[in-house]
Amino acid sequence: MSIGRDGIAGLILLAISLFLLVKSFQLPSLPIVPVGPGFYPAIVLSLMATASALLVLQDLLKRRAPAGAVAAPRRNYRRVLIAFAIVGAYVVLLPLLGFRVATALFVGALQAALDRPRTVRQWVVLAAIAFGTAVVSYFVFERYLLVLLPRGAWTGF
Amino acid sequence: MLDLLWNGLVNVAHWKYLVPLFAGTLIGVIGGSLPGVTITMTVIVVLPFTYGLDPLAGLAAMTGVYVGGSTGGLIACCLLGIPGSPASIATTFDGFPMARNGEPGRAIWLGVWASVWGGLLGALFLVFLTGPLAAIALEFGPWEYFSLFVLAMAMVAGLGESSLLKGLISTAIGLLITVVGHDPIGSVPRFTFGSTFIGGGFPFLPVLIGVFAFAQIMTDLEKLNSPRGEALQSLANVRLERFSHLKVNLEIFRQPFLLAWSTIVGLIIGILPAIGGSASSVMAYDQAKKFSRTPDRFGKGHPEGIIASEASNNANVSGSLMTIMAFGIPGDAVTAVMLGAMTIHGIQSGPLFISQNPDIAYGIYAAYILAHPCMLLICLALMPLMLRVTSVRMAVLAPVVLVLCVVGAYALNNTMQSVYVLLLFGVVGYVLVKLGFPLAPLILGLILGDQIEINLVRAIMTDANPWLFLTRPISGLLLLAAAGSVALAVWQHWRHQNRVAEEAPDF
Repeated sequence: MSIGRDGIAGLILLAISLFLLVKSFQLPSLPIVPVGPGFYPAIVLSLMATASALLVLQDLLKRRAPAGAVAAPRRNYRRVLIAFAIVGAYVVLLPLLGFRVATALFVGALQAALDRPRTVRQWVVLAAIAFGTAVVSYFVFERYLLVLLPRGAWTGF
Repeated sequence: MLDLLWNGLVNVAHWKYLVPLFAGTLIGVIGGSLPGVTITMTVIVVLPFTYGLDPLAGLAAMTGVYVGGSTGGLIACCLLGIPGSPASIATTFDGFPMARNGEPGRAIWLGVWASVWGGLLGALFLVFLTGPLAAIALEFGPWEYFSLFVLAMAMVAGLGESSLLKGLISTAIGLLITVVGHDPIGSVPRFTFGSTFIGGGFPFLPVLIGVFAFAQIMTDLEKLNSPRGEALQSLANVRLERFSHLKVNLEIFRQPFLLAWSTIVGLIIGILPAIGGSASSVMAYDQAKKFSRTPDRFGKGHPEGIIASEASNNANVSGSLMTIMAFGIPGDAVTAVMLGAMTIHGIQSGPLFISQNPDIAYGIYAAYILAHPCMLLICLALMPLMLRVTSVRMAVLAPVVLVLCVVGAYALNNTMQSVYVLLLFGVVGYVLVKLGFPLAPLILGLILGDQIEINLVRAIMTDANPWLFLTRPISGLLLLAAAGSVALAVWQHWRHQNRVAEEAPDF
């Protein structure tokens, strides 16, 4: 009997739901209302805890295929990690550099990370798309639709 | 009522609404035709543009996306054998074989015309049945609403391809997200741990965009540079054969029952909360095969398969619009985003929506009806361009879509907090997908969470007797259906497991 991915996920979710369930019992009750603020969360968390516990049980009882029996399609997780990191950097830099600068950098960086240009022409296209996205979205949102976009604390731009 | 509809049509025909409608439909067709870009993602991309528009103009744009997206999916279905959007999944079964048999034009135009007729037939129901449905909804008390929401969640949790347990956990996570922040009765902070960041709870749209768009894009990035990407590139060189539109239409109308029944199947699935276009397309296809005189030709390029799938997925849109307008409940993630947009403009949805906002309600009907000729026009005029657009690389598309997601979150209330929430839930959504948890139940839980709590508490405050949920006839029936749907899911899962065990006894 060994624990698999589902079992670990179930255990984590079970721990979270039990922790929050205890918290929901500690919420104050209100004098005029028959059910307190913890009533509904307790129902949801009980459901979640029960389902998570059953998931762990199901995983433990599952007969497992021998390792390597199923050839999973090749997936590039490194690329996803890089993409998340670039989005993270964009979100951090947005209030510092402002929408226009941060967006141009972000679009350029993510494109280059996903599909690195090999020729000068491809680099020019990449830069044009990055610059174009920033400029067009800025004009459409700020000028035409009057939707305000972040200004940069460092650039004032 | 027809006067109001006529006024709506005249109103929406004004360029102020027609331009957003046309633009929305165009973006919808393009978004729908790009494999990996769902209609929900397209409507999310359009969302920030609607903030600055008049409420009806914004809703017209979103309705256009919905209609256009439901049709656009068929292009990739027919030419590549990959559904452009999940809603056209069953079109692949016969559209692709027909195209491979040397009739790509016939396959595509059968689909486009079936979409138009199915959608317009659906419009009849939308216009004439939404009012009576809203009248029924007015009779609903908090017990009935609560039970209806429970049914919706039971159905979607059981529908998933993965286990029922994971569906239920996913639903619970969605509900839990709505619990964070102040409680709706006494404003007591819940699970905020003293943080001001989540003190006000998680804003709905950034969570939805994060969970949905990020999970989708990041999963697509894993598979970048695959053979599928190369197949997309080749689309730009496809040439459609010459054929007659009249013949295609005759082919559709030669079987009025097929068209009508597929439309009704799509409509009913659309009205049921939480079940989306993919289910309607597959179910209508299945029904068409059962009723057909030539069931053995299905899967080999049979026109009936294309007609059933495409008529039903467009009718499904009208069903979803009925649910949101009569009950104020989003039928799927697309209408959830529409509901979010309505809330931003201060429009209260629910059974009184049509009587309180007739201009907007009839405007939405009109936009839905007019979106079909717009879509047809776009397909007629721009099909070669569309084939070229479909081959845009994900490396270019992903950053642009992500920028629009960020703008959509930021512009909600002009704070970076919403963007942080977006990123946080983007990670959460991706991790859940990787662990095999379906996202549809989470999104439904997120959409309905507040409403479930409010109706539950309201019911108990009105009468503390909990048996009322079962003894009130409509509420009881709805809960019974919910229990039945979970039981069905368990039985199906069990039967599937047994079959797998029989097929592979040595494992």
